[in-house]
Amino acid sequence: MPFDPFAEIVRGFEGEPAELIPILQRVQAIYGYLSPESVGRISRWLRISENEIFGVATFFAQFRFSQPGEHVIKVCLGTACHVKGGEQILDVLKRRLDIQPGESTADGRYQLERVACLGCCALAPVLAIDEKVYADTSVLRVHQMLEERENREDA
Amino acid sequence: MTPRRTRAKDAGTVAIEIDHSAVRCAEGVSVLRAAELNGVFVPSLCSHKDLSPFGGCRLCVVEIDGMRGYPLACSTLVQEGMKILTDTATLREMRQEILQLILSEHPSSCLVCDEKEACRENVHTVRKAGVSTGCRYCPNDGQCELQTLAERLGVNDIHYPVYYRGYEPEHDDPFFDRDYNICILCGRCVRMCQEVRGTSVLAFKYRGSKTQVGPAFGRNHVEAGCEFCGACVGVCPTGTLAEKASKWDGKPDRSEVSTCPFCALGCQIDLHHKAGRLSKVHAHLDPEINDGQLCVRGAFCLPEVTHNHGRARKPMLKRGRYFREVSWPEALGEVTARLQGLKPEEILMVVSPDLTNESLYAAQKFIRSCLKSNSIDSTARWALPGGPGVWADLFSLPISIKSIAHADSIIAVGLDSRFSFSVAGVEVRRALREGATLVTIDARYSNLARYAKHWLQPHPGMEGTVLRVLAERLVGGAREHITRPAIDETGIDKWAVERATEALAPGENLAVVVGPTAFALDAELDLAKALLQLGGREGTTVLPLFQGANTRGALELGVLGELLPGLQRAKGRRVCLADLLEGRAKPKVLYLVGESPFFERPECDFLIAQDIYLPPFEVDAFLPAASFAEAEGTLTNVEGRVQQLVRIEDLADGAVTGYARPDWFIFGALAEKLGRAGPQPKNAGQILREIGTKVAGFPASPDRRPRRLQLNTRIPWEKARTGSPASGQYHLILEPGGFRHRGIDMSLAVEGLSELALEEGFRFHPDDLDELGIGNGGRVILGVDGVEVSGAAKADLDCPRGTVWVYRPFAYGGIPQRANLAPLYRFGGSLLSVTVSGPGAPNAEGAEAQVSAGGGGEP
Repeated sequence: MPFDPFAEIVRGFEGEPAELIPILQRVQAIYGYLSPESVGRISRWLRISENEIFGVATFFAQFRFSQPGEHVIKVCLGTACHVKGGEQILDVLKRRLDIQPGESTADGRYQLERVACLGCCALAPVLAIDEKVYADTSVLRVHQMLEERENREDA
Repeated sequence: MTPRRTRAKDAGTVAIEIDHSAVRCAEGVSVLRAAELNGVFVPSLCSHKDLSPFGGCRLCVVEIDGMRGYPLACSTLVQEGMKILTDTATLREMRQEILQLILSEHPSSCLVCDEKEACRENVHTVRKAGVSTGCRYCPNDGQCELQTLAERLGVNDIHYPVYYRGYEPEHDDPFFDRDYNICILCGRCVRMCQEVRGTSVLAFKYRGSKTQVGPAFGRNHVEAGCEFCGACVGVCPTGTLAEKASKWDGKPDRSEVSTCPFCALGCQIDLHHKAGRLSKVHAHLDPEINDGQLCVRGAFCLPEVTHNHGRARKPMLKRGRYFREVSWPEALGEVTARLQGLKPEEILMVVSPDLTNESLYAAQKFIRSCLKSNSIDSTARWALPGGPGVWADLFSLPISIKSIAHADSIIAVGLDSRFSFSVAGVEVRRALREGATLVTIDARYSNLARYAKHWLQPHPGMEGTVLRVLAERLVGGAREHITRPAIDETGIDKWAVERATEALAPGENLAVVVGPTAFALDAELDLAKALLQLGGREGTTVLPLFQGANTRGALELGVLGELLPGLQRAKGRRVCLADLLEGRAKPKVLYLVGESPFFERPECDFLIAQDIYLPPFEVDAFLPAASFAEAEGTLTNVEGRVQQLVRIEDLADGAVTGYARPDWFIFGALAEKLGRAGPQPKNAGQILREIGTKVAGFPASPDRRPRRLQLNTRIPWEKARTGSPASGQYHLILEPGGFRHRGIDMSLAVEGLSELALEEGFRFHPDDLDELGIGNGGRVILGVDGVEVSGAAKADLDCPRGTVWVYRPFAYGGIPQRANLAPLYRFGGSLLSVTVSGPGAPNAEGAEAQVSAGGGGEP
């Protein structure tokens, strides 16, 4: 019998529709996101249509549908950052990376997220790449920052 | 198992008070339903009789004595002594406010615009070409529930900022368009798709102001497995979901109740017409059969089939090298000249099982009394595997579609109800909601398997044996017993059969549904034996399904040459369709009535075709027949109901409307020309009255009661078909499929049907393809008994290992890849043993199949 990762995922579950959310959580814990393939497998196993599963999963903010990026860029849109133009920072990142918040770039390098507050409102507008917080950002600085990172990684 | 819900009929009644008047209503109904039953109007946009209460629109707020706040009428159940107020000043104000909130997310100029009166009057401006002025973004203007309600509640203005969602309207799926900008998220379509149809293509996704209806991962409906049953379109209270074909037709003039002419279930439909032309079809709320549900054919295909530009509408004759339009007298003259002086075996008439009872009867009467021949045959024979004897016995069983919904235990064999017999699938789902148990017997995953308690997966062709085993366990008393080795041969674990029997046994009412696929797999005799055994049990209903809308009528009314109307043995020489196909007979004149079961012109001196479309090969004379919308008549459904087809298009003959005539009328005109018969019938009713007097048990007027076939003498069963040549490691299953209507495949006239991708190549389990080293879409070569056929391979998880599936359509013509499969149809059976090999180089396109002939196949 070949190793079937899906059998590992559903180990301990009964196959009842009510178990959908715990199963989705386990899939996301292992793969980092819900792929169409895993939703398809869950659909067959629980006998719930893929569309209903997608409906349930998109209701909750905790589930992702694209592979997580290598680096997570969090743009703060809390009150202070909003007032200081956080929206423009997010816009420029969306354009530059060509993705929407919650998605990852095609090369898998970056994942873009919008957050409500990073807890350092005095430094607004802020964004964080992985654990490092960048204070007092601007559209120009975002471009510079990303270019620097790319040059560093290429080198 | 969920506890069985109490049915309304078992429940008592309660006394309540609605708007100060005392009324009684059934226990357990909602306040909304109670009000409706007592003629009190409570506005609502999200409730629907078949759907669970949702409480989404909040418009049905009422005041109930002793209850806090304003409860919703749709989700509050009536209780003894309840005092309900439905129309107070507060409620009116609240409803106006709620409707304004709904409209604030709905582009609403056609609801609250100052110009709406003038706009409606002047919208059709006459210029050189017809032009519409005014805003035309909603196709439902004038036939919209939301609009009616806004008018009724007196909402003329919106005090809230209007929010436009800005979604792209979705046009890329067949049959209906979707514009979720005007969706009010009432959830009727979602609940219809999930609760009633069990398809679950539609779901609410995302949340809050971003909530949207649609399938997962941004897929389109075809990818998401939509059946295109149109149920969501039917319940949409706005113009969000709109049928493509009739989208901008506007409000129809009137509608008539008729019968769907596309399959043997005989669903009742409302034919909407405008200016004398069929415009669109809605499911009729007929409690006997379909109760507001349809399948893709009934919901979307009728107007396109009858109005397609390819319709042949004028008589045509071959004159020298040309095939040209002629007048009726000229065409009839030529045809009668050819029919005169023929010996009985020099003519063969092939009749479609999609004709009306009247036309079938007239056809056989024409052949028998005018031409003194018995040479009439029908493809009904192919739709009824096992022969007339088997099916005459099956039709004498209690067959009932609506009883399925009341069954406690259901066995479904070889039925996939996505695109065919959908209504049977809906009935099964209805029973499951009430707590019934479903066992499916299917070699392949079917759409019903998802809801089955047990899915027994035998080797293809063994379905009959498995059903016999279940029949033996559930009923017993068979003359011949199933032996242990026979059970082992089916490929099913003994314990799985035990578990299935255990699940089914407690059910008092049993329903057995057998689809045409199971009958085609050389299992028909076993299936019939099992059905007869099960049908003898008290409280059992069976539903054997087959292709053709009026196949049962064809059997009863004598268009199979060996049987007269009423299933009496016919005497006299005759040729049959098989004689012609296998080259044993070569009739001089071949008369095809609504049927062309050939890939190319068969050998004969004179070929007459009488149909609504031209056959895909050369003919000598063409007589245009009236379609289901242009002629009246009756169809016999699987239960034996004789149901009416209503004529709604009776415009005068002309270049656009054509010169089509009902089939029975053409036979009458020919008989008159031949001068061998008395006065001809003037209308279809006259023929049905004649049938009623001549055929025992057949009603003399449309009669919607189910009818068990009564036979004085049993017709002997045909012998089991001998197995097909065994030559390979794979089972090839030629599954009955396609969308046949009369001589054509409807996908030729209805573009959307061809997008459902039913015709795509040979389907394999993906692991089998890996083993063979063929990619999805690559070319495979199938060999059987010296014949080689190649085509595109398609990976399909639903196919069991070691099998290849391909559709075997009943309407052959017009689709090129079908002609290439012709060598396979030479073998009688639908289950062949084949060798499979890949040519090495995968072909990415792989759309069309090619044939290299061996053993006398097609060139």
